[in-house]
Amino acid sequence: MDMEFIVFFLTILFVGALQIFIPFIAKRSVVFGVSIPYDQVKHPQVIQYKKSYAIITAIFTLASLAGLILLVQRQNINEAQLALVGVVFPFVILLVGLSLYFYFHYKIAKLKQTKNWFGAVKQVHYADLKIRSKDEMLASFVYLIPVIISLGLIILTVNLYDQLPSQIPTHWGPNGQADAFSDKSWMVAFGMPITLILMQFMFYGINIFTKRSGIKINAGNVKSSELRQLRLRKYTSWFLLLVDVLITLLFAILHLNLLYENIISDLLMMLAPVCLLVIVLAGSVWLAVKVGRLDSDFEGKEIIEDSNSIKIEGIDEDKYWIGGLFYFNRNDPSVFVEKRFGVGFTINFANPIGYLILIVPIILIIIIPILF
Amino acid sequence: MIILDSESNVPLYLQLRTQIMEAIVRGELAKGDTLPSVRGLAGDLGINMHTVNKSYHELESKGIIEIVPKKGAVIIADTEKHASKKQYENLGEELRPVVAEGLVCGLNEEDLHQLISNIISKIKEV
Repeated sequence: MDMEFIVFFLTILFVGALQIFIPFIAKRSVVFGVSIPYDQVKHPQVIQYKKSYAIITAIFTLASLAGLILLVQRQNINEAQLALVGVVFPFVILLVGLSLYFYFHYKIAKLKQTKNWFGAVKQVHYADLKIRSKDEMLASFVYLIPVIISLGLIILTVNLYDQLPSQIPTHWGPNGQADAFSDKSWMVAFGMPITLILMQFMFYGINIFTKRSGIKINAGNVKSSELRQLRLRKYTSWFLLLVDVLITLLFAILHLNLLYENIISDLLMMLAPVCLLVIVLAGSVWLAVKVGRLDSDFEGKEIIEDSNSIKIEGIDEDKYWIGGLFYFNRNDPSVFVEKRFGVGFTINFANPIGYLILIVPIILIIIIPILF
Repeated sequence: MIILDSESNVPLYLQLRTQIMEAIVRGELAKGDTLPSVRGLAGDLGINMHTVNKSYHELESKGIIEIVPKKGAVIIADTEKHASKKQYENLGEELRPVVAEGLVCGLNEEDLHQLISNIISKIKEV
């Protein structure tokens, strides 16, 4: 009961805090998914909208935390009810955040239109021919190094196949113990290492296509936008490797436990998934902090006025962003582009490779349990 | 550094071609350097790959870059070396209508020399 309470409390806190900070860690030239020129980022109305968003999401987060505490103090609440609350509250916070996003997206779009913010600036495409020598993303082959572990697991499985029990675990509960089994077959025995290899190749592919995607620099603020892009690329590739390695370790632990009947202690079986979750969450916070403090409201520095009489700005790309959330640009060969609301990448939906990356994992998730 | 004006009357591929040449003149790019891949530069600029491709092919036909399979677009222009006879003739042909327009508009020979000097110093100062 106590352990579960802590998990739910932290989940709500994490989801809530992330929601509150998003407008301030997003690129400052894009407010609630709407492009604005750099000389308008300090417009009182813009600041007001961001503040309102933060205050309302903060109220909902605090109310959810208070609600959770109150519910726990009533002794007659059972675990199922607590679990329901623990899932519903973060979901409500996300929904509130999304509704507010759309409301303010519409407000800013209208403000931008009535004030004709892009009317007074010259919009240009910007690129640095030498930028790729400054790109510090990891080499893609690095993501395939953990495949060695998967192959090792497969070789072990082949050798030990005859000794395996007739029932093989295929699903594990929150306590790290198997709670679903299948009859022994080659498919079931090799399901886990094969799934792992597929995932490792997916990470490899994601890195390749991120690397090939455009390095977008805003002509209105070359220095910070360049730094933000380079950091986003570098740290996302590190984060991806972290997830790659952690998932490999988790799968290796589960599979070794299967091969050598309960060789791994119960404690480790229980802690491994929790550790993975905690490290991944911590990693995403670290990524948000590292990237989110550049070219955002946290950067602090005032924008340097351009000496030219006509101010130049990046292209107003609003027409390529459906609802400010989904990127659809046939002209852009990039598969991944920086998100507009938050920190990270999103897919160019006009690029068929983007669809593949989105759809293939979903299909695999559906197909693999049917096969095994 | 490449800046393309989306609202200019000059097509994007011509702007791009000119700016790559100007970068070479300024020494930002030198003989033997490679340009970004067509896909990469189109992604950076957020413009169509055909546009970048067209610029690269123009530069190739002018003998400024060479498109080497697997390596990409390599700069072969050498600002130290004198233009070939063919390049000289092509330039003359391209400049002719501009000179004619200048003369029609009432510029004399000295004005035209001055104009060219101004443009050269502008290209070099950026």
